[in-house]
Amino acid sequence: MTAQPRIVEVRERVLKQNDLLARDLRRTFREAHVHVVSMVSSPGSGKTTLLEATLTILGRSRRVAALVGDLATENDALRLRRSGAPVKQITTGTVCHLDASMVSAALTGWDLSRLEFLFIENVGNLVCPSSYDLGEDLRAVLLSATEGEDKPLKYPTIFNTADVAIVTKIDLAEAVEFDRELAHRNIQQVRPGMHVIEVSAKTGFGMDKWISTLTGW
Amino acid sequence: MHELSIALNIVEIAEEELARQGGLRVRTIYIRVGSRACVAKEALSFSFGLACEGTVAEGSRLIVEDTEGLDLDVIRMEIE
Repeated sequence: MTAQPRIVEVRERVLKQNDLLARDLRRTFREAHVHVVSMVSSPGSGKTTLLEATLTILGRSRRVAALVGDLATENDALRLRRSGAPVKQITTGTVCHLDASMVSAALTGWDLSRLEFLFIENVGNLVCPSSYDLGEDLRAVLLSATEGEDKPLKYPTIFNTADVAIVTKIDLAEAVEFDRELAHRNIQQVRPGMHVIEVSAKTGFGMDKWISTLTGW
Repeated sequence: MHELSIALNIVEIAEEELARQGGLRVRTIYIRVGSRACVAKEALSFSFGLACEGTVAEGSRLIVEDTEGLDLDVIRMEIE
């Protein structure tokens, strides 16, 4: 007996499992009153340096913690623990982004009600992380002065899905002839009205603006 | 490059829908992929073949409709 072929309507998001889990995470974070901030950028744009400075400064007055994603090694977690904050490394193996299930698994054993800020540093990648909701309240995309001004034009999706853009390594802007105005114009072209902060985690420039953005969000 | 995990998600959705419909196997899956969804279609086609192996979608075709924006949806399926 052969069954008759027929067409059925489906209409489901391919990433619905991730979306559902992210929704649950967001609810859990809200109930525990934790602000969750994710950071995305290309490799080497200064996520870990900025996060280390952020954990140190914000950690003086708030209870902070971080999850940090990489394909391999515990190096970033070891660096970030110098700030004194609890830090867990997520090693993704070959996976190019974090997803909600990895975040959920990494949180096992942590009492969220003891935290005020949880930072999630994504795998260095300007493409794949844009598609995966992690349940965060605020997504920050980093663009370093050494990368050039046109990254927002080349990778518009990640800028479109982020809430704040942070221009890092601004202390090097002059040395690498980084055109700050052009960078701002490019960000605004891709995402009109986007909040942009220039920082140097090394010199401390702009860190006050970044911290007040976090506490005021 | 996360097309294999996307392909696995597509097959999972197809398996669930086939079970709901009481069908025997999946012949075709129609999906919609936005230009800003960060999905490489060639890589997705290749991964889809692997993801279908040993499932009710083995041997099925994947038909991709291009759209603008961030769409990444399974639209319909042909089953029997």
